[in-house]
Formats: sequence, C-alpha cells, structure tokens
Amino acid sequence: MKKLINLTINDQHYEVAVEPNQTLVDLLRYQLGLTGTKKGCEMGDCGSCTVILDGKAVNSCLVLALQADGRSIQTIEGLETGEGLHPVQEAFVEKGAIQCGFCSSGMILSAKNLLDQKSNPSEIEIRRALAGNLCRCTGYQKIIEAVKSVPQAN
Amino acid sequence: MLLPKFDFHEPKTLNEACQILAAYGVKAKLIAGGTDLMVNMKKKILSPEQVISISRIGELKKLDTSGDSIRIGSCFTVADLSTSDAIQKHLSALGEGAKNLGTPLIRNLATIGGNLGSARPAADLPPALMAYGAQVVLNSLSGERTLSLDKFFLGPGFTAAKPDEILSEIQIPSLPPHSGAGYINIGIRKGQDCNLVNVASFIALDTDGTIRNARIVMGCVGPIPLRASSAEKMLIGQKPESALFARAGAAASLDSTPIDDFRGTAAYKRDMVGVLTRRTLDIAFREATHRQ
Repeated sequence: MKKLINLTINDQHYEVAVEPNQTLVDLLRYQLGLTGTKKGCEMGDCGSCTVILDGKAVNSCLVLALQADGRSIQTIEGLETGEGLHPVQEAFVEKGAIQCGFCSSGMILSAKNLLDQKSNPSEIEIRRALAGNLCRCTGYQKIIEAVKSVPQAN
Repeated sequence: MLLPKFDFHEPKTLNEACQILAAYGVKAKLIAGGTDLMVNMKKKILSPEQVISISRIGELKKLDTSGDSIRIGSCFTVADLSTSDAIQKHLSALGEGAKNLGTPLIRNLATIGGNLGSARPAADLPPALMAYGAQVVLNSLSGERTLSLDKFFLGPGFTAAKPDEILSEIQIPSLPPHSGAGYINIGIRKGQDCNLVNVASFIALDTDGTIRNARIVMGCVGPIPLRASSAEKMLIGQKPESALFARAGAAASLDSTPIDDFRGTAAYKRDMVGVLTRRTLDIAFREATHRQ
C-alpha cells in the first residue's frame, strides 16, 4: 500500500505517495522525472545514483523512498543556479573530466560533498572521497585534476 | 531491479520496535543503513514480508564514553566511527576498520550494528571489536541480555541473536593503561572491495613491561572471525619484541583455516595472516607504550 511522504529535493518541497518497496533513485527518476541521477549497478557498487541526503553523499539505490520521509536531498539538478553551473561542474567541463557522462552526476556530487566538508583537500583525500564512484571510461585522472582545480573560498 | 513486496514499519522507540518484531518474528527483517539488506533483497536472497526500520530510533545512535565501558548505539554510522575523535583516541583499531569499510557512500549509510548483524566473515569491524573484548546488547520484549562478541557469530550470515531480538548497543570495556590495538586489512583494491585477509591485535602490558593479555582476531580465514588462540598463548607473560611478534604471526597462520577462492589461494591468505598479525602487534605495542 502506498504511503504519503514529505521531502525536500533541491530546496523544493514535495509530497508524494510511494510504495514500501520503492527505492529513492526510482522515486527521483520515474516519479519526479529527475533523471540526472543515474541507475548503474543498483547494488551500491558504482555510485552513479549518488545523491546528497541530509548533507551526506549516499547511494540512492540503497535507500528506500520511505526512509527519505522528512529529509532533505540534493541531486545534480540542484547544483546549477541562475548564475550558471556550480564551480565543480564548471571544473569538470574545463578539465575534460566528462567522457560518456554516465558517472558525472555521481562524481560531481561526491566531489561537492567533500569540498563542503573540507576546503583544499589533498589528492589522496580527493581519491578517497571518490572511491565509491566508478568511471568505466576510466577517465579518473581528469576527474581528480578537475576537483583539485575547483576555486576555494579561502 | 525490483525489490520484493513488503510492509514497512518505522518505529520511534526501541520498545516499539521490539513489539513489532515480536509480532512477526522470522517473517521480518530489520533495516538500518540498508547496505546489506537492500542488496540481498534485490538479489532475491532475502524476501521478508515485513521490513522494520530502526534508523529513526534516537537512542540507538549514541556514542557514550563517560562510563566504565564505551557504549556505541547499533545505528551509529560507520562514517561517524571513522571521523570520531573519541573513537580515534580510545579505539583506534576500530576507527581504522571503519575507515577501510566499503566506500564513502556506503560508510555514510552503513551502521556498526549492521556490520555485526550481517555476520560476513570478511567484515571490517568484527576483528577490532572482538580484539577489544566487546559485547553486544540484545533487546526483546522479554528483556535485555548481553553476549560476548566471541559467542555472537555462528556462521556466515548467522548470529546468536534470536528472531525477536534487536542488537541495540555495543559495549567495549575501557582500555587499561599500557594497552593498545592495531588493525590491518588487505584486498585487491584499496576501496570498494571485499577483504582478502584482515587481522586485529590487542595487547595489554604489565607494569614490568611483559604482556599481560593478548587477543588476536583473524577475518576472512574461517566461517566467522577467528581468535588465534595459540598465538595469544605464546605472547602472554613474554617481553614484547619483534622476534616474538614474528613467531606469534607464524602461530596465527596455523590457527587460521582459509579456503581457496577467486580472491586468493588459501596458502597466500595463510601467509598474509602471519604478516598482518606481526604488523598489527607492532602497532598495538607502539600504542600500548603511549597509553597511560
């Protein structure tokens, strides 16, 4: 039986009815049309479904939609503002860190989550923070360079 | 990939969770971080009729270092374990296990209770917790009991928790002065990998510098995390030194019961048990000489 949940996605409030066995990634993609969040392995291995849930990057394929009730979610669609792309997105474009693009939304959100918690991370810290996001074009080097190049507040 | 159909419950208190679990028993599964259960449900390995989320129960998320023992709520996340100053100060080997578990995305969801309850032989947290002498608190409608982690694991995926019991808390006795522990895991890759071998060692020194107590726990080399009892016996009463640690490593190798699989041969894993035992004892000894 469907249950009604309330959640905030990219600062916008939603009230939606979801099945108990519906995952957060399916809610985002199929019910709300937010297809920037990708579905890859669906097993928590590849990271293409990464979203930021209450300030923490998680695999949305491993979260039940019902578990997101009352919580705040940021997806790739929420990064761009009226002023243009987010600095991390800008850096990915600038450094050629996007090949096929399938891993990009997850990579960018994991990178943003790292930079939100720590300014000027070391290369090791960047590599560790992106360890849950797989790029099958194996374009990791450009991705690391992009994250390193993001202008920092201080 | 579809999940099987189930009813979902989200109790706010431990008592309420116990009531729901008592009503459904083996037909129900508990979910906290979901990183294990969700995968098993998608693969149709598990198809519970009822799923009970315990992730909104505030009392299961605490970390209390004020008393005689360190108490960690079962829903405390692995990410929080890996960044907690208190864990780093008191239980560095557990912190090391947490830092090496899964990926950042998994660590943000996964919980300490889930890593124990899923009872995987290669799990990152059981070796350090067993080496520290941890016990688990199991709650049901009929009350509460504590059980040494040594007696908790029964086999891959099986624990001594009864179908109506909820693992609510992990208790670790406060560390005596001059004691320390180390943890090392190895796998094919650094991140996003199942361990090939993982070992945690704990030693406590007497005032005269001899080893009063030692616990060595080996993961991935048996159906459950194993104590290296002959290595432990060899250490107790002796002066800590690298030759002794090397001999203890060799003894631990013989205590282990690895199998050949696609990750590595039994012979390689057995060798690595020896290496990791020696290295974790080095770390434990270094820490023990500094802990007042």
